[in-house]
Amino acid sequence: MAEQQIPQHALERLKGLRTQGHAGGIFTSDFSVNEFLLVRKAGFEPVGLCVGSCIYHLGFQFAGWGSNVELEQLSLAMYEARALAMERMRLEATNMGADGIVGVRLTVKRLEWDKNILEFVAIGTGIVHAKGHQGFKGPNGQPFTSALSGQDFWTLLSAGYRPLEMVMGSCVYHVARRGPFATMSSIGQNVELGNFSLALYEAREIAMERMQLEASKAGAEGVVGADLHEGSHNWSTHVIEFFAIGTAVLPIEGHQSDDIPDPKLVLSVNS
Amino acid sequence: MGWFNRKAPPQSAEAQARDRDWESALQRGTLPQPVLERLAHAREGRAPWVATMTPAELLTARSHGCRPIATVSGTCWYNFGFSWTLGHGEGWGYALDRIRQEAYAAGANAVVDVQMRTIRHRIGSSMDFTLIGTAIRVEGLPPSKDPVVATVPALQFVQLLEMGIVPTGIAVGASYDWLGGNSWNYNKRYGGAVTQWQTGIFAGNQPLHELGSFWENVRREAHASLREHAATMGSGVLAHTHFGQIIKKEQGDKQPPAYLGRHIVIGTVVDTPFGAAVPHGIEPVVDMRDDDTLSASRGHRHSVYSQQIGEGEGPI
Repeated sequence: MAEQQIPQHALERLKGLRTQGHAGGIFTSDFSVNEFLLVRKAGFEPVGLCVGSCIYHLGFQFAGWGSNVELEQLSLAMYEARALAMERMRLEATNMGADGIVGVRLTVKRLEWDKNILEFVAIGTGIVHAKGHQGFKGPNGQPFTSALSGQDFWTLLSAGYRPLEMVMGSCVYHVARRGPFATMSSIGQNVELGNFSLALYEAREIAMERMQLEASKAGAEGVVGADLHEGSHNWSTHVIEFFAIGTAVLPIEGHQSDDIPDPKLVLSVNS
Repeated sequence: MGWFNRKAPPQSAEAQARDRDWESALQRGTLPQPVLERLAHAREGRAPWVATMTPAELLTARSHGCRPIATVSGTCWYNFGFSWTLGHGEGWGYALDRIRQEAYAAGANAVVDVQMRTIRHRIGSSMDFTLIGTAIRVEGLPPSKDPVVATVPALQFVQLLEMGIVPTGIAVGASYDWLGGNSWNYNKRYGGAVTQWQTGIFAGNQPLHELGSFWENVRREAHASLREHAATMGSGVLAHTHFGQIIKKEQGDKQPPAYLGRHIVIGTVVDTPFGAAVPHGIEPVVDMRDDDTLSASRGHRHSVYSQQIGEGEGPI
Protein backbone atom coordinates (compact mmCIF):
# COMPACT_ATOMS: atom_id res chain seq x y z
CA MET A 1 0.00 0.00 0.00
CA ALA A 2 1.37 3.40 -0.95
CA GLU A 3 2.08 5.80 1.87
CA GLN A 4 -0.96 8.00 2.17
CA GLN A 5 -1.44 11.14 4.18
CA ILE A 6 -4.20 11.25 6.74
CA PRO A 7 -6.23 14.41 6.02
CA GLN A 8 -6.01 17.30 8.47
CA HIS A 9 -9.65 17.18 9.61
CA ALA A 10 -9.28 13.49 10.47
CA LEU A 11 -6.14 14.18 12.52
CA GLU A 12 -7.90 16.94 14.41
CA ARG A 13 -10.78 14.66 15.25
CA LEU A 14 -8.36 12.00 16.53
CA LYS A 15 -6.72 14.56 18.79
CA GLY A 16 -10.17 15.24 20.19
CA LEU A 17 -9.85 18.89 19.23
CA ARG A 18 -12.82 19.27 16.96
CA THR A 19 -16.18 18.88 18.62
CA GLN A 20 -18.75 17.51 16.26
CA GLY A 21 -22.30 18.52 15.83
CA HIS A 22 -24.10 18.09 12.56
CA ALA A 23 -27.63 18.76 13.70
CA GLY A 24 -28.61 19.69 10.16
CA GLY A 25 -27.43 17.26 7.54
CA ILE A 26 -26.75 13.76 8.76
CA PHE A 27 -26.83 10.92 6.28
CA THR A 28 -27.91 7.36 7.00
CA SER A 29 -27.04 4.33 4.90
CA ASP A 30 -26.63 0.59 5.19
CA PHE A 31 -23.42 0.52 3.15
CA SER A 32 -20.43 -1.50 4.22
CA VAL A 33 -17.15 0.41 4.40
CA ASN A 34 -16.09 -0.79 0.94
CA GLU A 35 -19.43 0.06 -0.61
CA PHE A 36 -19.28 3.55 0.84
CA LEU A 37 -15.79 4.10 -0.61
CA LEU A 38 -16.73 2.80 -4.06
CA VAL A 39 -19.91 4.89 -4.27
CA ARG A 40 -17.73 7.89 -3.42
CA LYS A 41 -15.18 6.87 -5.99
CA ALA A 42 -18.00 6.79 -8.55
CA GLY A 43 -18.70 10.42 -7.66
CA PHE A 44 -21.75 9.98 -5.43
CA GLU A 45 -22.58 10.66 -1.78
CA PRO A 46 -25.13 8.82 0.38
CA VAL A 47 -28.02 10.95 1.66
CA GLY A 48 -30.27 8.59 3.52
CA LEU A 49 -31.77 5.16 3.95
CA CYS A 50 -34.92 4.80 1.89
CA VAL A 51 -37.43 2.27 3.10
CA GLY A 52 -40.82 1.35 1.78
CA SER A 53 -43.03 -1.38 3.12
CA CYS A 54 -46.37 -2.87 2.39
CA ILE A 55 -48.24 -5.19 4.69
CA TYR A 56 -50.51 -7.22 2.48
CA HIS A 57 -53.36 -9.61 3.09
CA LEU A 58 -53.46 -12.44 0.58
CA GLY A 59 -56.86 -13.81 -0.28
CA PHE A 60 -57.32 -17.12 -2.02
CA GLN A 61 -58.07 -18.31 -5.48
CA PHE A 62 -59.37 -21.68 -6.58
CA ALA A 63 -57.88 -23.59 -9.45
CA GLY A 64 -59.15 -26.69 -11.15
CA TRP A 65 -57.65 -29.89 -9.73
CA GLY A 66 -56.12 -30.95 -12.99
CA SER A 67 -55.42 -27.69 -14.76
CA ASN A 68 -52.19 -25.91 -15.53
CA VAL A 69 -53.27 -22.35 -14.97
CA GLU A 70 -51.96 -19.02 -13.81
CA LEU A 71 -53.63 -17.74 -10.65
CA GLU A 72 -53.92 -14.23 -11.97
CA GLN A 73 -55.34 -12.66 -8.83
CA LEU A 74 -52.43 -13.95 -6.77
CA SER A 75 -49.90 -12.88 -9.42
CA LEU A 76 -51.40 -9.43 -9.34
CA ALA A 77 -51.41 -9.35 -5.55
CA MET A 78 -47.77 -10.41 -5.27
CA TYR A 79 -46.81 -7.82 -7.86
CA GLU A 80 -48.91 -5.02 -6.42
CA ALA A 81 -47.55 -5.51 -2.91
CA ARG A 82 -43.94 -5.29 -4.12
CA ALA A 83 -44.67 -2.38 -6.39
CA LEU A 84 -46.27 -0.47 -3.49
CA ALA A 85 -43.23 -1.10 -1.27
CA MET A 86 -40.87 0.04 -4.06
CA GLU A 87 -42.96 3.12 -4.84
CA ARG A 88 -43.00 4.15 -1.17
CA MET A 89 -39.25 3.69 -1.02
CA ARG A 90 -38.83 5.83 -4.13
CA LEU A 91 -41.06 8.51 -2.61
CA GLU A 92 -38.75 8.71 0.40
CA ALA A 93 -35.83 9.13 -1.99
CA THR A 94 -37.62 11.90 -3.89
CA ASN A 95 -38.38 13.69 -0.63
CA MET A 96 -34.74 13.68 0.40
CA GLY A 97 -33.67 14.92 -3.03
CA ALA A 98 -31.79 11.76 -4.01
CA ASP A 99 -30.73 11.06 -7.61
CA GLY A 100 -31.24 7.38 -7.09
CA ILE A 101 -31.19 4.38 -4.77
CA VAL A 102 -28.54 1.67 -4.78
CA GLY A 103 -28.32 -1.64 -2.96
CA VAL A 104 -32.08 -2.19 -2.88
CA ARG A 105 -33.09 -5.37 -1.14
CA LEU A 106 -36.63 -6.56 -1.58
CA THR A 107 -37.75 -9.00 1.08
CA VAL A 108 -40.93 -10.87 1.89
CA LYS A 109 -41.64 -11.84 5.45
CA ARG A 110 -44.60 -13.77 6.81
CA LEU A 111 -46.00 -12.40 10.04
CA GLU A 112 -45.99 -14.98 12.80
CA TRP A 113 -49.58 -14.53 13.88
CA ASP A 114 -51.34 -14.74 10.51
CA LYS A 115 -50.22 -16.93 7.63
CA ASN A 116 -52.17 -14.84 5.11
CA ILE A 117 -50.35 -11.60 5.90
CA LEU A 118 -47.08 -10.89 4.14
CA GLU A 119 -44.81 -7.96 4.81
CA PHE A 120 -42.93 -6.68 1.76
CA VAL A 121 -39.99 -4.41 2.50
CA ALA A 122 -37.80 -2.52 0.05
CA ILE A 123 -34.70 -0.92 1.56
CA GLY A 124 -31.74 0.83 -0.05
CA THR A 125 -29.49 3.86 0.23
CA GLY A 126 -30.45 7.10 -1.51
CA ILE A 127 -27.46 8.80 -3.16
CA VAL A 128 -26.77 12.13 -4.87
CA HIS A 129 -24.12 13.10 -7.38
CA ALA A 130 -21.49 15.03 -5.41
CA LYS A 131 -21.20 17.70 -8.10
CA GLY A 132 -24.93 17.97 -8.74
CA HIS A 133 -24.90 16.22 -12.16
CA GLN A 134 -28.56 15.69 -13.11
CA GLY A 135 -28.02 13.12 -15.85
CA PHE A 136 -28.33 10.11 -13.58
CA LYS A 137 -32.02 10.41 -12.70
CA GLY A 138 -34.36 7.59 -13.63
CA PRO A 139 -37.46 7.66 -15.86
CA ASN A 140 -39.54 10.91 -15.69
CA GLY A 141 -36.89 12.67 -13.62
CA GLN A 142 -37.57 10.38 -10.65
CA PRO A 143 -34.75 8.81 -8.63
CA PHE A 144 -33.40 5.65 -10.25
CA THR A 145 -33.70 2.39 -8.34
CA SER A 146 -31.22 -0.47 -8.53
CA ALA A 147 -30.44 -3.72 -6.78
CA LEU A 148 -26.72 -3.11 -7.33
CA SER A 149 -24.34 -3.15 -4.36
CA GLY A 150 -21.85 -0.29 -4.05
CA GLN A 151 -19.27 -2.49 -5.79
CA ASP A 152 -21.60 -3.36 -8.65
CA PHE A 153 -22.65 0.29 -9.02
CA TRP A 154 -19.04 1.41 -9.50
CA THR A 155 -18.42 -1.42 -11.96
CA LEU A 156 -21.60 -0.70 -13.95
CA LEU A 157 -20.67 2.96 -14.36
CA SER A 158 -17.16 1.92 -15.44
CA ALA A 159 -18.77 -0.37 -18.00
CA GLY A 160 -20.50 2.67 -19.50
CA TYR A 161 -24.02 2.03 -18.26
CA ARG A 162 -26.23 3.72 -15.73
CA PRO A 163 -29.11 2.14 -13.77
CA LEU A 164 -32.65 3.23 -14.60
CA GLU A 165 -35.11 1.24 -12.63
CA MET A 166 -35.60 -2.08 -10.92
CA VAL A 167 -37.92 -4.14 -13.07
CA MET A 168 -39.86 -7.20 -12.02
CA GLY A 169 -42.44 -9.71 -13.07
CA SER A 170 -44.44 -12.15 -11.03
CA CYS A 171 -46.42 -15.22 -11.95
CA VAL A 172 -48.25 -17.43 -9.47
CA TYR A 173 -49.04 -20.69 -11.15
CA HIS A 174 -51.08 -23.76 -10.36
CA VAL A 175 -49.39 -26.93 -11.57
CA ALA A 176 -51.97 -29.55 -12.59
CA ARG A 177 -52.20 -32.76 -10.62
CA ARG A 178 -51.85 -35.89 -12.68
CA GLY A 179 -54.87 -38.11 -13.16
CA PRO A 180 -54.98 -41.72 -11.90
CA PHE A 181 -54.40 -43.22 -15.36
CA ALA A 182 -51.40 -41.05 -16.04
CA THR A 183 -49.97 -41.96 -12.64
CA MET A 184 -50.58 -45.66 -13.21
CA SER A 185 -48.93 -45.66 -16.60
CA SER A 186 -45.69 -44.15 -15.32
CA ILE A 187 -45.19 -46.54 -12.40
CA GLY A 188 -41.75 -48.10 -12.65
CA GLN A 189 -40.84 -46.05 -15.70
CA ASN A 190 -38.21 -43.40 -16.19
CA VAL A 191 -40.28 -40.84 -18.08
CA GLU A 192 -40.61 -37.11 -18.27
CA LEU A 193 -43.66 -35.70 -16.56
CA GLY A 194 -44.59 -33.53 -19.50
CA ASN A 195 -47.30 -31.41 -17.97
CA PHE A 196 -45.07 -30.54 -15.00
CA SER A 197 -42.22 -29.45 -17.30
CA LEU A 198 -44.68 -27.48 -19.32
CA ALA A 199 -46.07 -25.71 -16.25
CA LEU A 200 -42.62 -24.60 -15.10
CA TYR A 201 -41.76 -23.36 -18.59
CA GLU A 202 -44.99 -21.45 -18.87
CA ALA A 203 -44.79 -19.80 -15.45
CA ARG A 204 -41.13 -18.82 -15.88
CA GLU A 205 -41.80 -17.47 -19.33
CA ILE A 206 -44.70 -15.29 -18.13
CA ALA A 207 -42.65 -13.84 -15.25
CA MET A 208 -39.68 -13.04 -17.52
CA GLU A 209 -41.90 -11.54 -20.20
CA ARG A 210 -43.49 -9.21 -17.68
CA MET A 211 -40.10 -8.09 -16.42
CA GLN A 212 -38.91 -7.45 -19.96
CA LEU A 213 -42.05 -5.48 -20.74
CA GLU A 214 -41.37 -3.23 -17.75
CA ALA A 215 -37.83 -2.68 -18.94
CA SER A 216 -38.93 -1.61 -22.40
CA LYS A 217 -41.54 0.71 -20.88
CA ALA A 218 -38.76 2.33 -18.85
CA GLY A 219 -36.83 2.88 -22.07
CA ALA A 220 -33.96 0.60 -21.10
CA GLU A 221 -31.39 -0.99 -23.37
CA GLY A 222 -31.00 -4.04 -21.17
CA VAL A 223 -31.39 -5.62 -17.76
CA VAL A 224 -28.43 -6.57 -15.53
CA GLY A 225 -28.36 -8.86 -12.53
CA ALA A 226 -31.58 -10.55 -13.63
CA ASP A 227 -32.57 -13.32 -11.31
CA LEU A 228 -35.44 -15.75 -11.05
CA HIS A 229 -36.80 -16.79 -7.70
CA GLU A 230 -39.12 -19.70 -7.25
CA GLY A 231 -41.12 -19.63 -4.06
CA SER A 232 -44.18 -20.84 -2.30
CA HIS A 233 -45.64 -18.46 0.25
CA ASN A 234 -47.56 -20.91 2.35
CA TRP A 235 -49.67 -22.08 -0.56
CA SER A 236 -50.60 -25.64 -1.39
CA THR A 237 -47.83 -27.80 -2.86
CA HIS A 238 -49.00 -27.34 -6.42
CA VAL A 239 -48.90 -23.54 -6.34
CA ILE A 240 -45.59 -21.80 -7.04
CA GLU A 241 -44.52 -18.27 -7.68
CA PHE A 242 -41.93 -17.36 -10.27
CA PHE A 243 -40.54 -13.95 -9.60
CA ALA A 244 -38.14 -12.25 -11.99
CA ILE A 245 -36.20 -9.18 -10.91
CA GLY A 246 -33.34 -7.17 -12.32
CA THR A 247 -32.00 -3.66 -12.88
CA ALA A 248 -32.81 -1.98 -16.20
CA VAL A 249 -29.83 -0.03 -17.59
CA LEU A 250 -29.11 2.56 -20.27
CA PRO A 251 -25.73 3.41 -21.87
CA ILE A 252 -24.02 6.60 -20.69
CA GLU A 253 -23.73 8.96 -23.66
CA GLY A 254 -20.21 9.49 -24.93
CA HIS A 255 -18.76 6.49 -23.09
CA GLN A 256 -16.53 4.42 -25.35
CA SER A 257 -15.89 0.79 -24.68
CA ASP A 258 -12.19 1.58 -25.32
CA ASP A 259 -12.28 3.54 -22.05
CA ILE A 260 -12.80 0.34 -20.10
CA PRO A 261 -9.54 -0.93 -18.67
CA ASP A 262 -8.71 -4.56 -19.30
CA PRO A 263 -9.07 -6.43 -16.02
CA LYS A 264 -5.87 -7.87 -14.68
CA LEU A 265 -5.78 -11.58 -13.86
CA VAL A 266 -4.66 -12.26 -10.31
CA LEU A 267 -4.36 -15.31 -8.16
CA SER A 268 -4.65 -14.64 -4.46
CA VAL A 269 -2.34 -16.86 -2.48
CA ASN A 270 -3.65 -16.14 0.98
CA SER A 271 -7.08 -17.73 0.82
CA MET B 1 -25.26 -18.27 50.82
CA GLY B 2 -23.60 -20.52 53.39
CA TRP B 3 -26.96 -21.89 54.36
CA PHE B 4 -27.36 -23.54 50.90
CA ASN B 5 -23.91 -24.97 50.57
CA ARG B 6 -21.61 -25.25 53.51
CA LYS B 7 -18.61 -25.58 51.25
CA ALA B 8 -19.26 -22.33 49.42
CA PRO B 9 -15.98 -20.42 49.53
CA PRO B 10 -16.16 -17.15 51.42
CA GLN B 11 -15.38 -14.03 49.41
CA SER B 12 -11.93 -12.76 50.18
CA ALA B 13 -11.44 -9.33 51.67
CA GLU B 14 -9.74 -8.14 48.44
CA ALA B 15 -12.62 -9.35 46.30
CA GLN B 16 -15.07 -7.57 48.56
CA ALA B 17 -13.03 -4.40 48.27
CA ARG B 18 -12.99 -4.70 44.47
CA ASP B 19 -16.76 -5.16 44.44
CA ARG B 20 -17.19 -2.02 46.51
CA ASP B 21 -14.82 -0.14 44.21
CA TRP B 22 -16.82 -1.14 41.14
CA GLU B 23 -20.12 -0.32 42.76
CA SER B 24 -19.16 3.18 43.78
CA ALA B 25 -17.36 3.78 40.46
CA LEU B 26 -20.41 2.76 38.40
CA GLN B 27 -22.61 4.95 40.56
CA ARG B 28 -20.34 7.94 40.11
CA GLY B 29 -19.82 7.21 36.43
CA THR B 30 -16.06 6.69 36.81
CA LEU B 31 -13.67 3.73 36.84
CA PRO B 32 -12.33 2.00 39.96
CA GLN B 33 -8.75 2.69 41.04
CA PRO B 34 -7.24 -0.72 40.06
CA VAL B 35 -8.59 -0.39 36.50
CA LEU B 36 -7.29 3.16 36.20
CA GLU B 37 -3.88 1.93 37.37
CA ARG B 38 -3.83 -0.95 34.90
CA LEU B 39 -4.70 1.34 32.01
CA ALA B 40 -2.17 3.93 33.19
CA HIS B 41 0.53 1.24 33.20
CA ALA B 42 -0.42 0.20 29.68
CA ARG B 43 -0.41 3.84 28.57
CA GLU B 44 3.09 4.43 29.89
CA GLY B 45 4.38 1.16 28.48
CA ARG B 46 5.10 -0.32 31.92
CA ALA B 47 2.72 -3.21 31.24
CA PRO B 48 2.52 -5.22 27.98
CA TRP B 49 -0.03 -4.01 25.48
CA VAL B 50 -3.09 -6.15 24.83
CA ALA B 51 -4.87 -6.11 21.45
CA THR B 52 -7.73 -8.00 19.86
CA MET B 53 -5.91 -7.58 16.51
CA THR B 54 -4.74 -10.46 14.35
CA PRO B 55 -1.06 -10.43 13.28
CA ALA B 56 -2.13 -9.11 9.84
CA GLU B 57 -4.00 -6.25 11.44
CA LEU B 58 -1.07 -5.51 13.70
CA LEU B 59 1.11 -5.28 10.58
CA THR B 60 -1.05 -2.64 8.89
CA ALA B 61 -1.69 -0.79 12.11
CA ARG B 62 2.07 -0.47 12.73
CA SER B 63 2.87 0.48 9.15
CA HIS B 64 0.38 3.32 9.51
CA GLY B 65 1.61 4.58 12.85
CA CYS B 66 -1.02 3.07 15.13
CA ARG B 67 0.14 1.53 18.37
CA PRO B 68 -2.13 -0.74 20.44
CA ILE B 69 -2.38 0.13 24.13
CA ALA B 70 -4.95 -2.06 25.85
CA THR B 71 -8.16 -3.98 25.42
CA VAL B 72 -10.96 -1.82 26.75
CA SER B 73 -14.60 -2.59 27.36
CA GLY B 74 -17.87 -1.22 28.57
CA THR B 75 -20.76 -3.24 29.96
CA CYS B 76 -24.22 -2.37 31.14
CA TRP B 77 -26.61 -5.03 32.34
CA TYR B 78 -29.95 -3.41 31.92
CA ASN B 79 -33.40 -4.25 33.22
CA PHE B 80 -36.28 -3.45 30.88
CA GLY B 81 -38.95 -1.66 32.84
CA PHE B 82 -41.58 0.17 30.84
CA SER B 83 -40.06 -0.45 27.41
CA TRP B 84 -37.89 -3.21 25.98
CA THR B 85 -37.32 -1.22 22.79
CA LEU B 86 -36.16 2.04 24.34
CA GLY B 87 -34.04 0.08 26.84
CA HIS B 88 -31.81 -0.99 23.95
CA GLY B 89 -30.99 2.61 23.13
CA GLU B 90 -30.13 3.40 26.71
CA GLY B 91 -28.24 0.15 27.40
CA TRP B 92 -25.87 0.65 24.45
CA GLY B 93 -25.56 4.32 25.39
CA TYR B 94 -24.19 3.44 28.85
CA ALA B 95 -21.83 0.82 27.42
CA LEU B 96 -20.53 3.41 24.93
CA ASP B 97 -19.89 5.98 27.66
CA ARG B 98 -17.99 3.41 29.69
CA ILE B 99 -15.73 2.16 26.90
CA ARG B 100 -14.91 5.82 26.09
CA GLN B 101 -13.92 6.37 29.71
CA GLU B 102 -11.55 3.42 29.65
CA ALA B 103 -10.06 4.59 26.36
CA TYR B 104 -9.56 8.05 27.80
CA ALA B 105 -7.85 6.57 30.86
CA ALA B 106 -5.56 4.59 28.54
CA GLY B 107 -4.57 7.81 26.76
CA ALA B 108 -5.93 6.59 23.43
CA ASN B 109 -6.90 8.43 20.26
CA ALA B 110 -9.30 5.73 19.19
CA VAL B 111 -10.79 2.35 20.03
CA VAL B 112 -10.81 0.07 16.99
CA ASP B 113 -12.35 -3.32 16.27
CA VAL B 114 -15.19 -2.56 18.67
CA GLN B 115 -17.63 -5.45 18.84
CA MET B 116 -21.16 -5.37 20.16
CA ARG B 117 -21.81 -8.41 22.29
CA THR B 118 -24.38 -9.89 24.57
CA ILE B 119 -24.64 -13.10 26.53
CA ARG B 120 -27.85 -14.89 25.63
CA HIS B 121 -29.19 -15.41 29.09
CA ARG B 122 -32.75 -15.46 30.39
CA ILE B 123 -32.56 -13.62 33.63
CA GLY B 124 -35.80 -11.77 34.03
CA SER B 125 -36.56 -9.08 31.51
CA SER B 126 -32.98 -7.93 31.15
CA MET B 127 -30.00 -8.03 28.85
CA ASP B 128 -26.33 -7.19 29.03
CA PHE B 129 -24.91 -4.72 26.56
CA THR B 130 -21.16 -5.11 26.11
CA LEU B 131 -18.67 -3.31 23.92
CA ILE B 132 -15.11 -4.56 23.64
CA GLY B 133 -12.25 -3.27 21.51
CA THR B 134 -8.62 -2.25 21.29
CA ALA B 135 -7.51 1.21 22.39
CA ILE B 136 -4.86 2.62 20.06
CA ARG B 137 -2.59 5.63 19.93
CA VAL B 138 -1.75 7.33 16.65
CA GLU B 139 1.95 8.19 16.64
CA GLY B 140 2.71 11.89 16.81
CA LEU B 141 -0.68 12.81 18.23
CA PRO B 142 -1.40 13.79 21.84
CA PRO B 143 -3.97 11.66 23.76
CA SER B 144 -7.54 12.59 22.97
CA LYS B 145 -9.99 13.84 25.57
CA ASP B 146 -12.78 12.31 23.50
CA PRO B 147 -11.48 9.09 21.85
CA VAL B 148 -13.41 7.85 18.82
CA VAL B 149 -15.06 4.43 18.95
CA ALA B 150 -14.76 2.51 15.66
CA THR B 151 -16.60 -0.72 14.97
CA VAL B 152 -14.21 -1.58 12.13
CA PRO B 153 -10.96 -3.56 12.45
CA ALA B 154 -7.63 -1.72 12.47
CA LEU B 155 -7.01 -2.35 8.77
CA GLN B 156 -10.25 -0.72 7.66
CA PHE B 157 -9.83 2.02 10.25
CA VAL B 158 -6.58 3.12 8.63
CA GLN B 159 -8.08 2.79 5.15
CA LEU B 160 -11.00 4.99 6.17
CA LEU B 161 -8.76 7.64 7.74
CA GLU B 162 -6.77 7.97 4.52
CA MET B 163 -9.99 8.65 2.67
CA GLY B 164 -10.99 11.37 5.10
CA ILE B 165 -13.58 9.32 6.96
CA VAL B 166 -13.38 9.02 10.75
CA PRO B 167 -15.57 6.32 12.34
CA THR B 168 -16.54 7.97 15.61
CA GLY B 169 -19.10 5.91 17.49
CA ILE B 170 -22.22 3.81 17.57
CA ALA B 171 -25.68 5.29 17.23
CA VAL B 172 -28.92 3.58 18.18
CA GLY B 173 -32.42 4.50 17.11
CA ALA B 174 -35.39 2.79 18.74
CA SER B 175 -39.10 3.31 18.66
CA TYR B 176 -42.29 1.46 19.52
CA ASP B 177 -45.99 2.18 19.45
CA TRP B 178 -49.36 0.54 19.92
CA LEU B 179 -52.17 0.38 17.45
CA GLY B 180 -55.27 -0.06 19.61
CA GLY B 181 -55.06 -1.29 23.18
CA ASN B 182 -52.63 0.56 25.39
CA SER B 183 -51.84 3.51 23.16
CA TRP B 184 -52.00 6.95 24.79
CA ASN B 185 -53.08 8.50 21.53
CA TYR B 186 -56.87 8.64 21.22
CA ASN B 187 -57.00 7.75 17.51
CA LYS B 188 -54.58 4.87 17.89
CA ARG B 189 -56.34 3.63 21.00
CA TYR B 190 -59.45 2.96 18.98
CA GLY B 191 -57.48 1.78 15.95
CA GLY B 192 -57.09 -1.79 14.83
CA ALA B 193 -60.70 -2.25 13.73
CA VAL B 194 -59.91 -1.66 10.06
CA THR B 195 -57.11 -4.20 10.20
CA GLN B 196 -59.35 -6.75 11.90
CA TRP B 197 -61.93 -6.36 9.15
CA GLN B 198 -59.27 -6.46 6.40
CA THR B 199 -57.81 -9.73 7.66
CA GLY B 200 -61.09 -11.57 8.20
CA ILE B 201 -61.64 -14.90 6.48
CA PHE B 202 -63.63 -13.38 3.63
CA ALA B 203 -61.12 -10.63 2.94
CA GLY B 204 -59.48 -10.71 -0.48
CA ASN B 205 -56.12 -9.53 -1.74
CA GLN B 206 -55.44 -6.09 -0.37
CA PRO B 207 -52.80 -3.91 1.24
CA LEU B 208 -53.42 -3.32 4.94
CA HIS B 209 -53.24 0.46 4.93
CA GLU B 210 -54.02 1.07 8.60
CA LEU B 211 -51.42 -1.39 9.89
CA GLY B 212 -49.03 -0.39 7.11
CA SER B 213 -49.00 3.33 7.83
CA PHE B 214 -48.81 2.66 11.57
CA TRP B 215 -45.77 0.45 10.97
CA GLU B 216 -44.20 3.01 8.67
CA ASN B 217 -44.47 5.64 11.41
CA VAL B 218 -42.80 3.40 13.97
CA ARG B 219 -39.91 2.83 11.59
CA ARG B 220 -39.59 6.51 10.66
CA GLU B 221 -39.44 7.47 14.31
CA ALA B 222 -36.70 4.90 14.91
CA HIS B 223 -34.71 6.33 12.00
CA ALA B 224 -35.29 9.88 13.23
CA SER B 225 -33.98 8.96 16.66
CA LEU B 226 -30.97 7.27 14.99
CA ARG B 227 -30.18 10.49 13.12
CA GLU B 228 -30.63 12.55 16.26
CA HIS B 229 -28.30 10.31 18.22
CA ALA B 230 -25.72 10.21 15.41
CA ALA B 231 -25.79 13.99 14.95
CA THR B 232 -24.01 14.36 18.31
CA MET B 233 -21.07 12.31 17.01
CA GLY B 234 -20.58 12.77 13.28
CA SER B 235 -22.03 13.51 9.88
CA GLY B 236 -23.48 10.15 8.88
CA VAL B 237 -24.39 6.62 9.98
CA LEU B 238 -23.71 3.30 8.29
CA ALA B 239 -26.64 1.40 9.73
CA HIS B 240 -25.75 -2.29 9.72
CA THR B 241 -28.38 -3.70 12.08
CA HIS B 242 -32.12 -3.51 11.60
CA PHE B 243 -34.68 -5.23 13.78
CA GLY B 244 -38.42 -4.91 13.47
CA GLN B 245 -41.39 -6.80 14.85
CA ILE B 246 -45.17 -6.47 14.81
CA ILE B 247 -46.82 -8.37 17.63
CA LYS B 248 -50.55 -9.02 17.78
CA LYS B 249 -52.32 -9.03 21.11
CA GLU B 250 -55.88 -10.24 21.52
CA GLN B 251 -58.10 -7.95 23.59
CA GLY B 252 -61.18 -10.03 24.35
CA ASP B 253 -64.51 -10.45 22.57
CA LYS B 254 -65.77 -6.93 22.14
CA GLN B 255 -62.55 -5.26 21.06
CA PRO B 256 -60.38 -5.54 17.98
CA PRO B 257 -56.87 -6.93 18.65
CA ALA B 258 -54.07 -4.51 19.47
CA TYR B 259 -50.76 -4.42 17.61
CA LEU B 260 -47.37 -3.56 19.06
CA GLY B 261 -44.81 -2.37 16.51
CA ARG B 262 -41.18 -2.03 17.54
CA HIS B 263 -38.12 -1.13 15.55
CA ILE B 264 -34.44 -0.85 16.44
CA VAL B 265 -31.73 0.33 14.08
CA ILE B 266 -28.03 0.46 14.97
CA GLY B 267 -25.14 1.87 12.97
CA THR B 268 -21.57 3.09 12.96
CA VAL B 269 -21.28 6.86 13.02
CA VAL B 270 -18.77 8.41 10.63
CA ASP B 271 -17.52 11.95 10.37
CA THR B 272 -16.56 13.09 6.90
CA PRO B 273 -16.91 16.19 4.74
CA PHE B 274 -19.33 15.97 1.79
CA GLY B 275 -17.68 14.79 -1.41
CA ALA B 276 -14.23 14.03 0.04
CA ALA B 277 -11.80 12.59 -2.52
CA VAL B 278 -10.91 8.90 -2.61
CA PRO B 279 -7.13 8.95 -3.23
CA HIS B 280 -6.67 5.25 -3.98
CA GLY B 281 -6.99 4.06 -7.55
CA ILE B 282 -9.22 1.07 -8.21
CA GLU B 283 -8.10 -1.58 -10.61
CA PRO B 284 -10.42 -4.28 -11.94
CA VAL B 285 -9.00 -7.75 -11.44
CA VAL B 286 -10.28 -11.23 -12.11
CA ASP B 287 -9.40 -13.69 -9.41
CA MET B 288 -8.25 -16.98 -10.89
CA ARG B 289 -9.43 -18.95 -7.89
CA ASP B 290 -12.25 -21.35 -8.58
CA ASP B 291 -13.89 -21.54 -5.21
CA ASP B 292 -16.40 -18.77 -5.59
CA THR B 293 -17.78 -19.31 -9.06
CA LEU B 294 -19.03 -22.82 -9.45
CA SER B 295 -19.44 -24.02 -5.92
CA ALA B 296 -22.80 -23.93 -4.22
CA SER B 297 -21.37 -22.09 -1.24
CA ARG B 298 -22.11 -18.72 -2.81
CA GLY B 299 -25.50 -17.83 -4.15
CA HIS B 300 -27.76 -20.38 -5.73
CA ARG B 301 -26.18 -20.41 -9.17
CA HIS B 302 -25.51 -24.14 -9.17
CA SER B 303 -27.42 -25.28 -6.15
CA VAL B 304 -29.33 -28.16 -7.73
CA TYR B 305 -27.23 -30.76 -5.95
CA SER B 306 -27.09 -29.04 -2.60
CA GLN B 307 -28.23 -30.56 0.66
CA GLN B 308 -31.86 -29.99 -0.25
CA ILE B 309 -32.14 -33.44 -1.76
CA GLY B 310 -33.47 -35.83 0.87
CA GLU B 311 -31.88 -39.23 1.35
CA GLY B 312 -34.95 -41.20 0.39
CA GLU B 313 -35.41 -39.33 -2.83
CA GLY B 314 -34.95 -41.66 -5.83
CA PRO B 315 -33.92 -45.26 -5.11
CA ILE B 316 -30.98 -45.49 -7.50
